[in-house]
Amino acid sequence: MSYVQRRRFLWILFLGGLALLAIAASATTLSRLKLEDLAQESTAVARLRCLGTTSRWEQGEIWTEATFEIVQREKGALSGIVTVRLLGGSVGHLHSRVEEVPAFHTGEEVYLFLWGHEGEPYQVLGWSQGTFRIKRNPQSGLEIVTQDSASSAVFDPHAKTFRRGGIRHLPVAIFREKLHKALRQENQ
Amino acid sequence: MAKQRKQPIIRRSIAALLTAYYGVCGVPGARGYAFNEIVPDVRQPASISGGSACPVPSHQLIAPGSIAEQWSTVLGTNPVTIRTQDQTAAGRLNEIEQAITQSIAAWTGVSGTTLAPGTFAPVTRIAAQNACGSDGVNSICLDQADGAFTPGILAFTRVITADIIGARVGNGAAATQVGQILDADIYFGPSSSTITFATPAALASAPTSYDFESLLIHELGHTLGFSHSAVFAAMMYPFAPAPGTFSGSRPTTQKPDAPLGDDDRTGLRVLYPDPGDTVNVGAVSGRILPANPLSLPASPPGVTGIFGAHVVAVDSATGAVIGATLGGWSCVAPGPAHFDGSYGISRLAVGHSYQVYAEPLDNTVYPSLVSPATASLCRNPKTDAGWPPLQACVVPAVNTSFTTRTRPGL
Repeated sequence: MSYVQRRRFLWILFLGGLALLAIAASATTLSRLKLEDLAQESTAVARLRCLGTTSRWEQGEIWTEATFEIVQREKGALSGIVTVRLLGGSVGHLHSRVEEVPAFHTGEEVYLFLWGHEGEPYQVLGWSQGTFRIKRNPQSGLEIVTQDSASSAVFDPHAKTFRRGGIRHLPVAIFREKLHKALRQENQ
Repeated sequence: MAKQRKQPIIRRSIAALLTAYYGVCGVPGARGYAFNEIVPDVRQPASISGGSACPVPSHQLIAPGSIAEQWSTVLGTNPVTIRTQDQTAAGRLNEIEQAITQSIAAWTGVSGTTLAPGTFAPVTRIAAQNACGSDGVNSICLDQADGAFTPGILAFTRVITADIIGARVGNGAAATQVGQILDADIYFGPSSSTITFATPAALASAPTSYDFESLLIHELGHTLGFSHSAVFAAMMYPFAPAPGTFSGSRPTTQKPDAPLGDDDRTGLRVLYPDPGDTVNVGAVSGRILPANPLSLPASPPGVTGIFGAHVVAVDSATGAVIGATLGGWSCVAPGPAHFDGSYGISRLAVGHSYQVYAEPLDNTVYPSLVSPATASLCRNPKTDAGWPPLQACVVPAVNTSFTTRTRPGL
């Protein structure tokens, strides 16, 4: 590619990029739940460690139940083992999948915003929006938190607009500060 | 089944400059089309599993009338879930059905695939409110409450795929292919005071409603086996257009696939290739390797290349993202998948010049959003009791810590 062609190509990309940025202020099939919304709408919030998952047929659908032990409770009356119900999973020779439903692995630690009724398995509020994964840097030991939907531009039905945002690469201590602030707002 | 890699026939260059450009300008990472992958159950005889542990994409059986779609005529009325221009009872249903038919036609209108207009049987109506369920029938439900809905969820598609021949769902027909989709149901959020949808005819007068057709075309993409794409112009981009607006262009008789993006079309051609297509036969393939092999993860063993890089093909003349893939693995029968940094973008139109760039998944698309396309590449004795060790593997973590550079001479 010649210098002129390359310049023309980059200009096209630049203009295309501007157009795309304009479109970026659009919407999603999720409706946005800010951290404050998640705190308010959730039944419980906790740092959890996944103990395992099992899938089974229930009322004509394949569901996966993930069990967690509580590492740190932040909201709600959680005790013992927490069970979270997720649509989809694998049973026998059938694999049921739904985009944006989070999957968990044994030993993984997450902050989850749980939604549901006492005595029944919880769901993850807003699926990817209510899932915050914890990653530990093996060298420094620093733990960071990233929301599954952090990369997503999501629709805010109240503001009638699309917003980008979410939490990504946030140290756990700072995340907890934000979380506690959101929970305090809920109680006011 | 070996993953096919055609020889590069199109100009290729890794343009780190483009990566930097997108990073600086903040344009979202362009994760292209992706499919739900299934590893066949090789514990079963080869006659029904194929005998290979190589992942296969979920797909529909392609034959005349092989994809049936029914829709529930029970609509939310308090408030109205779907706004229509025609307010008569019969007129409302006809208007919604027209949107459904046009949405299907958007996918069947793509050239260079075996998914033809006749592949879908004519849509049928069902009066039951709860028509969606694992029964082997593809259904669209517009007012069915489902236990999976929580605040923040507008619509979703649940897809059930078989990992051996002969598997079946409910009273549906048994799978005749490994990876065949047996049931795909589309759920739109039931009555809500804040979320409504509108047919194309009603959208102009319903500026706070979502375009029903845009959302449905997206969901039908899942029905066909697509996962999400991060290409803005793609219909499989995970976010609907803003209320009162619609994605792409409206379909016309001459161009029924107008709502789709190039990335959608390329993905469809890869998923359902037409052997008679002589236009979209270009391919780019290669490997993404680290400058220092010691930077590769030690666990799981056997990782020899970058896993999880986005590799994107851009039309040099227009700047449009034509196709992209999640690179990092290859597979040759009898499997398992090898994480050697391989990538391949196929079904590109010949006669064009393309630039290719690679980017890590650490910008606007994160590994968790592509887990359907990555987490299911392997099975092993831990995930599936009795799995043969020689066909077992463990999916490594997506590598997001690399920086792309132009290799001298390219």
